[in-house]
Amino acid sequence: MKRIFAPSSILAILIVTAAWLAAACAPVAAPGPAAQATQPAVAQPTSAPAATAAPSTGGNKVITISYTQEANNLNPLYTNQWFTQNLFDLFLDNALITFNDKNEPLPWIAKEIPSIENGGISADGKVITFNLRDDVKWSDGTPLTADDYVFTYEMILSDKNTVTSRDPFESEVASVVTKDPHTLVVTFNEPYAPWMTSIFSRANSSVAIPKHILQPVFEKDGTLDNAEWNRAPTVGVGPFLFKEWETGSHLTFQANPDFWMGAPKADQIFFRIVPDDASQLAAIKAGDTDIGVFISPSDVPDLEKLGTVDIPKVQSGYKESWYFNMSTDPATMGNPALQDANVRRALVMAVDRNKITQELLYGLTKPALTFWDGMAQANTDIEPIPYDPEGAKKLLDDAGWKVGSDGIREKDGVKLKLRYVTTTREVRKNTQAIVQQEWKDIGIDSELINHPSDVFFASFGDKGPIATGQYDIAEWSNSPQFPDPNAVDWLCSEIPSDANPPGGNWEFICDKDLDALFQEQARTVDAKKRIELFKQIQKIIADQVYWVSIWDDPDLWTVSKKVTGVKFSGATPFWNAYEWDKME
Amino acid sequence: MGRYIVRRMLQAIPLLFIVSLIVFVLIMNMGDPLIAFAGRNGQVKGADRERLIRKLGLDQPIYVQYVVWLVGNDWMKLDLDGDGVPETNGTRRGVLRGDLGTSVVTREPVIKMVRDRLPNTLLLMVTAEIVIISFALILGIATAVFKYSIFDNVFTGLSFVGFSMPVPLLALGLIYIFGVYFKRAGLPYFPTVGMFEPAAGKTPEQLVWHLVLPVATLSIISIAAYSRFIRSNMLEVLGHDYIRTATSKGLSSRVVLFKHALKNAALPIVTLIGLDLGFLLAGALVTETIFSWPGMGRLFYDHALKSDMPVLMGVLMLISISVIFFQLLTDITYTFVDPRIRYQ
Amino acid sequence: MATLSKSITTTQVQQLAPPKVSSPGQLARRKLMKNRAAMFGLVLLGALIAYIVIGSFLFTEEYANHNDLSIRLQPPSREHPFGTDPIGRDILARTIYGGQISLIIGVTAVAISMLVGVLIGAFAGFYSGRLDSLLMRFTEAVLNIPSLFLLIIAAKYAGDKIQNFDLFGREFSGSLIVIILIIGLTSWMYLARIVRSEFLSLKEREYITAARALGVKDLQIIFRHVLPNTTAPIIVAATLGIATAILAEAYISFLGLGVRAPTATWGNMLEDATRYIDTAPQIWFFPGLLILVTVLAINFVGDGLRDALDPRTLSE
Repeated sequence: MKRIFAPSSILAILIVTAAWLAAACAPVAAPGPAAQATQPAVAQPTSAPAATAAPSTGGNKVITISYTQEANNLNPLYTNQWFTQNLFDLFLDNALITFNDKNEPLPWIAKEIPSIENGGISADGKVITFNLRDDVKWSDGTPLTADDYVFTYEMILSDKNTVTSRDPFESEVASVVTKDPHTLVVTFNEPYAPWMTSIFSRANSSVAIPKHILQPVFEKDGTLDNAEWNRAPTVGVGPFLFKEWETGSHLTFQANPDFWMGAPKADQIFFRIVPDDASQLAAIKAGDTDIGVFISPSDVPDLEKLGTVDIPKVQSGYKESWYFNMSTDPATMGNPALQDANVRRALVMAVDRNKITQELLYGLTKPALTFWDGMAQANTDIEPIPYDPEGAKKLLDDAGWKVGSDGIREKDGVKLKLRYVTTTREVRKNTQAIVQQEWKDIGIDSELINHPSDVFFASFGDKGPIATGQYDIAEWSNSPQFPDPNAVDWLCSEIPSDANPPGGNWEFICDKDLDALFQEQARTVDAKKRIELFKQIQKIIADQVYWVSIWDDPDLWTVSKKVTGVKFSGATPFWNAYEWDKME
Repeated sequence: MGRYIVRRMLQAIPLLFIVSLIVFVLIMNMGDPLIAFAGRNGQVKGADRERLIRKLGLDQPIYVQYVVWLVGNDWMKLDLDGDGVPETNGTRRGVLRGDLGTSVVTREPVIKMVRDRLPNTLLLMVTAEIVIISFALILGIATAVFKYSIFDNVFTGLSFVGFSMPVPLLALGLIYIFGVYFKRAGLPYFPTVGMFEPAAGKTPEQLVWHLVLPVATLSIISIAAYSRFIRSNMLEVLGHDYIRTATSKGLSSRVVLFKHALKNAALPIVTLIGLDLGFLLAGALVTETIFSWPGMGRLFYDHALKSDMPVLMGVLMLISISVIFFQLLTDITYTFVDPRIRYQ
Repeated sequence: MATLSKSITTTQVQQLAPPKVSSPGQLARRKLMKNRAAMFGLVLLGALIAYIVIGSFLFTEEYANHNDLSIRLQPPSREHPFGTDPIGRDILARTIYGGQISLIIGVTAVAISMLVGVLIGAFAGFYSGRLDSLLMRFTEAVLNIPSLFLLIIAAKYAGDKIQNFDLFGREFSGSLIVIILIIGLTSWMYLARIVRSEFLSLKEREYITAARALGVKDLQIIFRHVLPNTTAPIIVAATLGIATAILAEAYISFLGLGVRAPTATWGNMLEDATRYIDTAPQIWFFPGLLILVTVLAINFVGDGLRDALDPRTLSE
């Protein structure tokens, strides 16, 4: 018998041993007194929730955050991923300006926020001068200087680097130079209003990379694409410093005692990668995680009952929205009915959006009035579109869409049948089904289509279904350049076509007045004047029903009641991580 | 023997080509390859999109991209600044020269990503395989010896249930019962997800605790298949004349069972295990996903959702190679198990 | 481990060769009738088919798709025996219509895989030589890819290529066709191998040589003379294949790449159920149980068929 099984079992044993060794020799997290926590499965009959999961013991305060997506690349040049960008608040906390939990700008590495009044912005609005703090050092002791920012700018524009985005450095910025080691001067081609969220900012993760580490790498390899620092940014600047990253498992950041605002209160931030919502939910319930991200509204009632977590709602500018296909080009055109603002209005009136937010989203949110709700630019005078099925029927009748023999409205032989397209997310599928039924009640037929998000969001050039107009109504969540109000998707020049395959105006809207206002606001550095422009923009969008929110889409987090001081910002969630603390 | 091995290896080459062609064509047409560069709103637009398409070579015809994947592009000039004039040397060396490429999502060499995940997957899968085979051998032999007894009937029925169980249901059921419900009831409970508790670190104890539920899931659905297979092979062998001869010679039933019967039933069993071993590398996609086990299956699934061609191709090619390797190994094992088989 | 189960059934099915032409179906039927597990499986299957057929007379599809947010996530009650889902649809009615689709997927996907598998196996086995090695290399290549991995790639590749369509007054998602096709086209390999090995041995028989000598055309020999003698293993493989196809649909749906709205299947009813694992167990329990019972019943029948059609055990 022994001989029979010898080859395969020896092999199996070899493999298992190798795997064990590899696993055991892999870098180990969390040093310190963890002995008592090594047996998670020990019973806790008294079920004191505070006692069940206690990874923190004196001097080793570990705050565990569950992440449903893994970071992709820790170099800000190489990522656009929300999950990764949040990490820069910890170890690459060198944005010129950051945003607090009210989404107000705070001078960060810049000593003050440049404005025309304080001379930071030139009279023509084209030159912005930043005075940088001189007491900030990289974790290896090298001072952080304006040179790091210039280097970052050069690296973003270098053809040798496959950076994720050059926006707006390529299109808007004429030059970035240093005046002295702590003065940075950015010159624009034209005045550029959204600079605060896009120039060396955390909002678009154009934070600075360490020149003294990466310049030699660039000179040696000819590119930063494969720099070791991208995966293991051992030199950083911020309240926490990179410690280790084990792919697919976890990422840890260790407190930086030399942080320029004082040592952080927690000792370690531990990001555990959990691949799906169900796993995250289980971990939150089991007390294995202190902070949970992107909580689904349907899980909230259950988590509230648990009583061990707070569930902050954070405005991040995102609105779950309906977009109408208004193309007039036969190749991308939708149902002709959508050209009529009254039909668009009727479609919205037929749907009880408040009921959807109350029931499906557990009353955690409500339909947003405008694309800029919750921001200073919001126009609160806009009349909401009411839920009024009878009114909707009348609007449709008046517009010439009469109920046909099969109960479906039609005009000139065209049926009012709409392709309602969205991604495969559960809440969207459920919304589709609800809306379909409500439309049917007023004689509108609809076909529900779902695409995985990498298909849904593909560009015109990649034959994406929305970008090529293969829809009548589309649903997704979008935001302005939060917390800046800038938005470019409604510009005529953004309409995708063979000549402009990457265009982002997937509604194919070209409204001359709207277009002019959008262009003007982007060049208006004066905040007050800009607000007025936005109010006009919102009036046009509301009157013409170009865009409708199904619901305001705040980020839902969970924070264990043991963790204190957490103040998420919508733009830069972990901006105050240095104040986070964990109770015993 | 040596020549046989060489011949088999040569045969594997066209096989790997066919595999790579099939999956390459599918993968290159399955979604927006630039999704990895998208921000939270899911879109990559404007000048960035045009630049990235150029930089990643996605503007080339698909056969050129395949050739680049195969042999690299360091021998050709690329047009990176979009002026229509190729000026920069490529840097990729291609799989044939050992370069599996770099993930579009993480910008990390695929080989490194695989190296990170492989130990985790092998830990899970080899443990499960050992549990499965040990239980299956015991149960398979026992049900064959006591065929049509109550034990056989009950176990056969149960094994069919396990065999027919949808994995998500079983895995989530186990998490619910042993992770959530037991904890709620104050009973000893198993951890729900991950490989270890963050505070405790990656200790062997932690790994064992966290292995229990996923291994149980994999075992419950697979033991049945193996044990049924072993049972039917044993039954067949036990029906042969030489077993009857052996028994009538007065040999003890143990000797007959283990020395004569099992030895002859072993060939198909070894085949089965050999076929399986190659696929162990692939991990268990659904189970790994539900239990947050950072293995190869999850690597594949996560990157499939982002149409990350280099990772998907790399993983699939490695699995193919491993399957071919273990098939060859199985065939060689035959010669030990069954001396009648000779290869030339 | 789906590959594992498949490889087992195949290896076992392969052992059927060579079939005894002399053993008529009657003997097999009698054997099957005596097999209690198989009979139990048949009865279960009958009950399931009655459930989805009779059920569709009791509830309209409109009712199955009717949502009402005010009664969402209700536990089983007299009015909704299986409870309601997150938008207040009746789960009982949805399992009825979902079951129809799941079974259709199982049967049609297997039909496709049989068509492809038999054709490839028959030509490879009959012609041997270069065609054989080409076809078998191809078969082996597909086999080398773990089936779920292949399914994921295929589902992503083809997922959006077919539009929704109306059939018999019902609207179906185009993804239904896609799922049927990809399950069928990724599961024919074992069958092809079985058929090939059958052909390899059968084509040497005297009656085939005789047919050839008489100048009968190749295609006629393949389909009229050889193929009918390989039905036993094909039937067994097909039966068990239905179970595998239903599970495959459940897995691919669980991973979010399955059949999409408005078409319900047992698999896609499970898709989002995971987040309600302990808050609304009715959502995953009933479709999950129905998948389990169906697959179990089919496996019982398939196993019984294998025993019944296995010439080696006829004497037992």
